[in-house]
Amino acid sequence: MKKFLVLLLVFVSALAVFAEEVDWAIEDVAGKPGGTLFLDTTSGPKTMNPAWAQETSSTEIIRWVLDTLVHSSNKGLAELPGLAKEFSAEVREDGKTVYTYVLRKGLKWSDGMPLTIDDVIWSFEKIWFDANMTANGNGAYLDSNNELPTIVKVDDYTVQFVYNTKFRRGHESIGWTEILPKHVLEPYYEEGRFQEAWSLAELDKVVASGPFVLKEYKEGVRVVLEKNPYYYRKDKNGVQLPYLDQIIYIIVKDLNTGRLKFEAGETDIYAPTAEEFPEIRAMAEEKGWVVRQGGPNLGSNFVTFNFNAKDPVKRKWFRNEHFRRAVAYAIDKQTLIDVLYNGLGAPLYGPVSPSSGYYNPEVENLGFRYSLARAKKELRDGGFVLKGGKLYDADGNQVKFELTTNAGNNVREEIGNILKENLSKLGIEVNFAPMQFNALVGKLVSTGDWEAIIIGLTGSVDPASGWNVWRLDGGLHFWNYSPEIKPDMFTEEMKADYWVPDFEKRIDEIMRLQVSAVDKDELRKLLDEFQMLVAENQIVVYTVAQNYLVAYKNIVHVYNPEPNPAAGVLWSGWNIWKDQ
Amino acid sequence: MLKYILRRIILSIPVLLGVSIVSFMIISLAPGDFLDSYRLNPAVNAEQVKLLEKNFGLDKSPVVQYLLWLRNMLRGEWGQSFTYQIPVWDLIWRRVGATLLLSITTFIFTWGIGIPLGIYAALHQYSLGDQIAAVVGFIGLSIPNFFFALLFLFFAAKTGGKIFPVGGYISLDYDSFPAWKKFLDIVWHVLGPMITLGTSGLAGTMRIMRGQLLDELKQDYVEFARAKGMPENVVIYKHALRNAINPIITALGFSISGLLGGAVLTENVFGWPGMGQLIIEALLQQDIFVIMADIMLVSVLLVVGNLIADILLAAVDPRVRLRLG
Repeated sequence: MKKFLVLLLVFVSALAVFAEEVDWAIEDVAGKPGGTLFLDTTSGPKTMNPAWAQETSSTEIIRWVLDTLVHSSNKGLAELPGLAKEFSAEVREDGKTVYTYVLRKGLKWSDGMPLTIDDVIWSFEKIWFDANMTANGNGAYLDSNNELPTIVKVDDYTVQFVYNTKFRRGHESIGWTEILPKHVLEPYYEEGRFQEAWSLAELDKVVASGPFVLKEYKEGVRVVLEKNPYYYRKDKNGVQLPYLDQIIYIIVKDLNTGRLKFEAGETDIYAPTAEEFPEIRAMAEEKGWVVRQGGPNLGSNFVTFNFNAKDPVKRKWFRNEHFRRAVAYAIDKQTLIDVLYNGLGAPLYGPVSPSSGYYNPEVENLGFRYSLARAKKELRDGGFVLKGGKLYDADGNQVKFELTTNAGNNVREEIGNILKENLSKLGIEVNFAPMQFNALVGKLVSTGDWEAIIIGLTGSVDPASGWNVWRLDGGLHFWNYSPEIKPDMFTEEMKADYWVPDFEKRIDEIMRLQVSAVDKDELRKLLDEFQMLVAENQIVVYTVAQNYLVAYKNIVHVYNPEPNPAAGVLWSGWNIWKDQ
Repeated sequence: MLKYILRRIILSIPVLLGVSIVSFMIISLAPGDFLDSYRLNPAVNAEQVKLLEKNFGLDKSPVVQYLLWLRNMLRGEWGQSFTYQIPVWDLIWRRVGATLLLSITTFIFTWGIGIPLGIYAALHQYSLGDQIAAVVGFIGLSIPNFFFALLFLFFAAKTGGKIFPVGGYISLDYDSFPAWKKFLDIVWHVLGPMITLGTSGLAGTMRIMRGQLLDELKQDYVEFARAKGMPENVVIYKHALRNAINPIITALGFSISGLLGGAVLTENVFGWPGMGQLIIEALLQQDIFVIMADIMLVSVLLVVGNLIADILLAAVDPRVRLRLG
């Protein structure tokens, strides 16, 4: 019996050795292993549960720890292999879209357990596709018919996601989703408390598939990440990655302290504000820092007008595209960039950031540069009359309205002040009154009791991830909600007056069509048209965005040749190394 | 005495209940709720927000929410933090250590220096030492804490972090230290926030002590004792000081409630992982149960602190003892 057991043991270990065979990803880099990278963050993770983490302070740490099937390029596009060594999308003749992912062989979680196709299937089936299991819901995985794909296990390493319709965002939505360890998280799921899994109380239970493992977290103090010994990448000399032994995030609540720490050499990388940037640049040579500037950030601040304002007179102005264009001409973008961002920013003319691969530079040619003369002409074309320094509409109503934003955001407050000033030169009286953020959100999404607002939304490379903003039935289509979506905002009179211009209808259509635009050229054309429609009609009047700014010690060898808002200085962090 | 304490405890129940009702009401009256950041997130659609409202119980009326909260509280459940998805009590417990360390050292710093300095100033009224102590005290009192903290950090950074650390709670290589060095490392880090917070309290304590002692020294009984030939040290330290310390002990009651309150600005500037940071974040995000738990905790400490102050007063002052008896 004992002999048999020994034999069995030998056989099993032989199998284990055989299973060691790993599909390594080979990186074109030759650095030196070792060392610790010190970073700062304003807040530590609130939870390590990727389905419930909301703040970037949490997601930034999670991204080191949990890997995805597909990785993004340094332009932010889903085109590099991750846990999946191969992946593809195919539209079949029957109109179904099939996303195929081939998992690497020999993958392991940081606790030594194998990472298999079952983990992948479990993650999607039980967690990501169930709106109850995640904070953001499953909207990202739905096709144009609001249907989820079916999951097909082809073999032990291949999985397919089959959509009934044409669907183009698979690699972004499925490929970018964190794969979860079934063996660790299933008990939580079974007990119905998945939401609490990997919360602060249970950080020692977190296992990693990414380059780093969460080693220690002292709240309010620091986060220590340690090299994952099972990570599946090697450099071209055969050295297993990541190079760094540790990454330590020091939690620094106060921005001034963050800078002092960088200057004292305690942290390696620092994201200066635009205000600090020239000073940091001046010190760089002496201190041995590399200072870099990337394109404008993906998020943006914009002005928008309520097409369904309570006052029918104002509604009419706001729906008048000449009026909105006049406002666009009245925004002095260059001054804003100089005042707010020390000149380190870019003007925005449309809904997509110039940093995005989908940006259509045509929007700049529409010529919405600062010009009060052009603004006046637009107002005349729109039927407005200037009398005694005050502007009146065709019916003789004096043009004045309320503009608001959330108090405490000095970028938005500054935009408001400059806009108020410039509009007064056109004879428009603006009452600019910033209010508390929660009150503002309440007005914006539930009562509809507002006239004009300066606000911003997080952006991303793909404009279509903002469908919620652009579709007529979208939850954030706040300038022109339909009465069906927000019945509480409408009186009977307003319902009768609800109006959707042609360009809004077309944008709504584009947002539906792009979901199934698998063909790259077709997609490009749709998104180009979308940007032009928004920019021409100034549905939303865009302002400015700050450039991506970063400084780091020259002993740190970052891998991204050109850090930018879509892929920052930490992109492909397993390839980062540091001179000892 | 025991009866008195018991009566005080029973009387505190309606007070705490009142505090909880008023605070819950104010929180509910504030516009918006925790989900506002979800509402403005392009990746979250409206149905999802509704689902979360239901899961978090935010779709119920404030009264129902309050009653549910009260019921859970009486059972010893303080609710879950929305942001962290863990019980509120857990969350607060993790921060208590750092906050207590800071407030107790600050307390020792202010009182340990303030009281002797006050006594010295009173005994040497208008001397050079008295004047210098007053000037230094008032400088500390008049510089805003956050500014003082920044100055302190600036100094620390310019000296390369060798004399004082550039904020934080522990050194970078803390983990490799032996136990005694770990302890010293934390003490070294607490100096900055302690001095920042302490300087403002110092002047106050010192001035009260000085004034009180001067008043007492002018009393008839002091003259009488001196005339009878009692040694000066006994007159001052056994009789005058004991009467003069009365208001300082009353202030102690209030400082107990302040122990856990934390000092938000100073904590933020120094990166001190105390409760102040936690509560500010909770307020900004309208994480109601965390806010409520903190308010209740501070209220309980205030009640307890006052009780302790009264007991201490009774111990030093026979007049108070007579009244309580």
